[in-house]
Amino acid sequence: MTKKNSSLSFYIMAGLLLVLVPISLYLVFNWVPPIKASNPTEQTAQRIFYYHVASAWNGFFAFFVVFLASIMYLWKKERKWENIAVASAEVGTLFMTIVLITGPIWAKPTWGIWWTWDARLTSSLVLWLIYVAYLFLRRYLPDGTRRANLSAVVGIIGFVDVPLVWYSIRWWETQHPSAVLAGGKKGSLAPEMLFTLLFCVGVFTILYFLLMQRRIEIAKLEDSINKQYKEWETLS
Amino acid sequence: MSVIWAIIRKDFQMEFRTKDSVTAMWIFSLLIFVIFNFTFEVSRLLMLQISPGLLWVAFIFSGMLGLNRSFQVEKENGNLRSLALTPADPGLIYFGKFFSTTLFTLIFEALIFPLFIIFYDIHLSLLTLWIIPIAILGTIGFTSLGTILSAVAIHTKQQQILLSLLLWPMITPIIIWSVKTTGDVLAGDLSTAFQPVIIRMIVFDVIFTTISYLLFEYVVQE
Amino acid sequence: MIEQVPAVITAEKLRKEFGRVVALRGVSFQVPASTFFTIFGRNGAGKSTLLSIISGMAAASSGVIRVFGEDPAARTQRHRLSVISHESFLYDNLTALENLEFYGKLYSVQDLKERTHHVLRQVGLHHRRFDLVRTFSRGMLQRLTIARAILHNPDLFLLDEPFTGLDQHATEMLIGLLETLKAQGKTILLTTHDLHIGLRLSDQYMILERQQVVETGSASGLTEDALREKYFSLISSGEAGQ
Ligand SMILES: Nc1ncnc2c1ncn2[C@@H]1O[C@H](COP(=O)(O)OP(=O)(O)OP(=O)(O)O)[C@@H](O)[C@H]1O
Ligand SMILES: [Mg+2]
Repeated sequence: MTKKNSSLSFYIMAGLLLVLVPISLYLVFNWVPPIKASNPTEQTAQRIFYYHVASAWNGFFAFFVVFLASIMYLWKKERKWENIAVASAEVGTLFMTIVLITGPIWAKPTWGIWWTWDARLTSSLVLWLIYVAYLFLRRYLPDGTRRANLSAVVGIIGFVDVPLVWYSIRWWETQHPSAVLAGGKKGSLAPEMLFTLLFCVGVFTILYFLLMQRRIEIAKLEDSINKQYKEWETLS
Repeated sequence: MSVIWAIIRKDFQMEFRTKDSVTAMWIFSLLIFVIFNFTFEVSRLLMLQISPGLLWVAFIFSGMLGLNRSFQVEKENGNLRSLALTPADPGLIYFGKFFSTTLFTLIFEALIFPLFIIFYDIHLSLLTLWIIPIAILGTIGFTSLGTILSAVAIHTKQQQILLSLLLWPMITPIIIWSVKTTGDVLAGDLSTAFQPVIIRMIVFDVIFTTISYLLFEYVVQE
Repeated sequence: MIEQVPAVITAEKLRKEFGRVVALRGVSFQVPASTFFTIFGRNGAGKSTLLSIISGMAAASSGVIRVFGEDPAARTQRHRLSVISHESFLYDNLTALENLEFYGKLYSVQDLKERTHHVLRQVGLHHRRFDLVRTFSRGMLQRLTIARAILHNPDLFLLDEPFTGLDQHATEMLIGLLETLKAQGKTILLTTHDLHIGLRLSDQYMILERQQVVETGSASGLTEDALREKYFSLISSGEAGQ
């Protein structure tokens, strides 16, 4: 029963993405008018912005899910919540990695440098480091309640830190005028740009849920293999 | 309350038995200043600009050493486990360890600071006294997280590396604010941002000591 | 078993899993008050896991555990409980006296000063009370470990292979101390793979094998040879504990 439901939701999400991803590509590369920029490379590079922001939004959302699932785990002590937390941490780290890769790709043609200690990129890097540390912690511990407890604690503390990191780095940027570079992202968005952006965010959010669903399925499979292994071991 | 006090007392009794390690840590921070002098060959003016950062790097490095030591003794003979087996509230055990590492780090910072004044030719004024509350707030931010994360990392074999991985990114905000306010004080000119930043530091400290107090119970469970 | 004295420990169908590893598969038993109860079992049989569930440090995956009639995870009966393992739980850079004073405060022991001196005399370490623990020999360390464990005058002792690493002399001394505690009417739960010592001290015993109870019984009238024969017949099938 549950198996059927989960594969149904998978097919629905996969089907949606099959249609929506090409549309988003069309919107980003054909439909939305180019920005006013001095050279064409910069105009093209700017289009990565839609995926960049969509990934960032999902990264944050994923870490929020880690936070909620960690609280639920400590409260209910159910394996389910541990599985959700770790799945979301992995998927969130993936999205944050996309943010960190697309950022420089965009920065190079726009500002002529790969990396800039711009507030958004820097915060993303720090957040990425926090969740990589979370995943490392899990690698260093054997499966069991202790690992679940410790990673839940780090999942909670880490997320409480997220807005503080974000806010402090933004503030820090304003204190260092040299780090602030004009261009691209800033300024208000044209209606077409806003629509395309929201569309991409929506598509990526579906992608997030699809990846989550897959990752949780894997965790469940692992658990059921372990269960069968234990039953087999008891018999022999 | 007596639990917190007992832990602080015990940690201090032990630290004073191993005075040589305190000396070693002091020499270590001396080394940081010496090395920095060679790695950044900059003008005096620039040096003044980066010196608040240097000071906090020295503070944090010795704080890391202090944290590792403080939890090494709890690991050696299974002591953290035995603390968790007592009727004492785990939250109070957290506060005990938190206060003792904070006090130690602060004492240490007080020893480092004169070195800093001498090496970087800092001009002293009444304003320089602000460094005391800043050091306290910054250190609490660092040790409040450091204490609970040390207790997390202690359960793995890669204790020290894991502590650094977890702690460094999480303390970014408090480091940014500490360095900025220290810069203001050393420049002898408090900017308009000074007061709000101090308040933010207090908020950060309150948030993380409270959360850690609440969560410590889950860290000592098996 | 005749249910006269209320049981200090009651375990029902305790199960504990660490991911794929099963550490306990449905363990049930009772320990009556003032009983010396020994759990025999090989490496990996699940002895330590069982003790940490009884002490309230670990939660069972399923099953019910009651210690003094309460859930040990609630931590209400902590002051009546003491754990001794092969780890000393002592601080090397504190003196014997400082160690006891520290733990005494955590257990809120009444008249701590008198109590520490009394306990130190009891284990014969009073003359060394101002010496650092790191200068102690293995045997002295063991005695101080006991002193720490009896300091708050608990009713229940959980001992997890306390004889590990002790020489003949230290072993005899520990046995002597355990006999004293037994005579005082304390409840003692010991895990060991040493049949000789275990049998010598026990009132009742239990054999854990492959994370299950395979035998429980009264130790009185049981000879060591009979126990040995029983033990090896029960565990000989199969290679290792896990
Ligand atoms: N924290 C843990 N994580 C994963 N597996 C564990 C953990 N603790 C115990 N186990 C496993 O549970 C089983 C029982 O272990 P336990 O330590 O209780 O055995 P034991 O009888 O005390 O053995 P020993 O005589 O070696 O001390 C073993 O297979 C062990 O590998
Ligand atoms: Mg064991």
